[in-house]
Amino acid sequence: MKTEKLEKTYTPKELAESFVFRAKLSGKQKKETDRELAEARKKTREKSHPNDALLLRLLQLKYQMEEYSSNAPFDANRSFGFFLRAYLKSLDKKNKDFASDIDIDETELSQILNMHRKPSEKIIIRLEIHSNKTIPAITWFRILEKEKEHDIVTNTIMRKNEGKHVKNRLRIGPLVA
Amino acid sequence: MFVVERLTGRKIKVVVEPVVKEDYKNITKTKYFFNWKTEKRHKVYKLRLSGSDSVLGLVSFIKQDDEQRIEINLLSVSIENRGKRKKYERITGCLIACVCKVAVTEYGEYACVSLIPKTLLKKHYVKSYGMKEAGRSVYLEDKCLLELLLKYEL
Repeated sequence: MKTEKLEKTYTPKELAESFVFRAKLSGKQKKETDRELAEARKKTREKSHPNDALLLRLLQLKYQMEEYSSNAPFDANRSFGFFLRAYLKSLDKKNKDFASDIDIDETELSQILNMHRKPSEKIIIRLEIHSNKTIPAITWFRILEKEKEHDIVTNTIMRKNEGKHVKNRLRIGPLVA
Repeated sequence: MFVVERLTGRKIKVVVEPVVKEDYKNITKTKYFFNWKTEKRHKVYKLRLSGSDSVLGLVSFIKQDDEQRIEINLLSVSIENRGKRKKYERITGCLIACVCKVAVTEYGEYACVSLIPKTLLKKHYVKSYGMKEAGRSVYLEDKCLLELLLKYEL
């Protein structure tokens, strides 16, 4: 069915609800179109409210966390501390003030940021509340889970140590010769 | 994110994800109107019902990193989802909202999603998706982009 036939079959509203058609513009027209858009966007940004900008920054962080925890391979650099640091940067908050916001010691916050300590569930819940649910606790939790998953899969020292505590090992499975 | 089954009003969860090579075997002109194989050089995403492989809609877009903007190049819903007798509503809105999500993931507070509509359809994109007008283009940015993300529960 050609486009003209589509226009006879459906109303403009129905077409807009079903399609975006390829634009057929010359190079010159495309340049002009892009210029008009850039000008309009400049005016939009001048009227932008700081709360909307903050919400967009937090949503960006949330989406990046979700993408990492569900799709990407483990990356030691993208730790819980890394994302928490990004959260503080989005808010332009000092460590001391943020620690006070979520009622923990600045030392404890520093330990979490530098990966010397894992956050408790209470802290994860407080993070959700602090962001007014913009970044839910489960999103933070999944970052932590990804670290734990990696730990448990790669921890050969623990396996060696715990092996001493296991007797009557099953003689089935992939390791049996 | 959900679509609505027109006849029953039931909300049904959907998934929007990148198209893979194998999908193109079933993406035909008969069903999706355009020759989508020509869009392989762009980012192409599909919408399907959660738990089903059947593709209800497609969108292709181009990232303009220097402008912190994504331009929607092409979009279509499957033939049974057009017009008064469509099976599901909100497919196009979900696809546009997902492109907005990609834009926010990449560009944060400066994210913008735009398209160049047919003149006849411009006011309908403005009305249906809260887009702003800018000469030949319509676009989402800042507050109106946030409102669309909220409407489609992203």
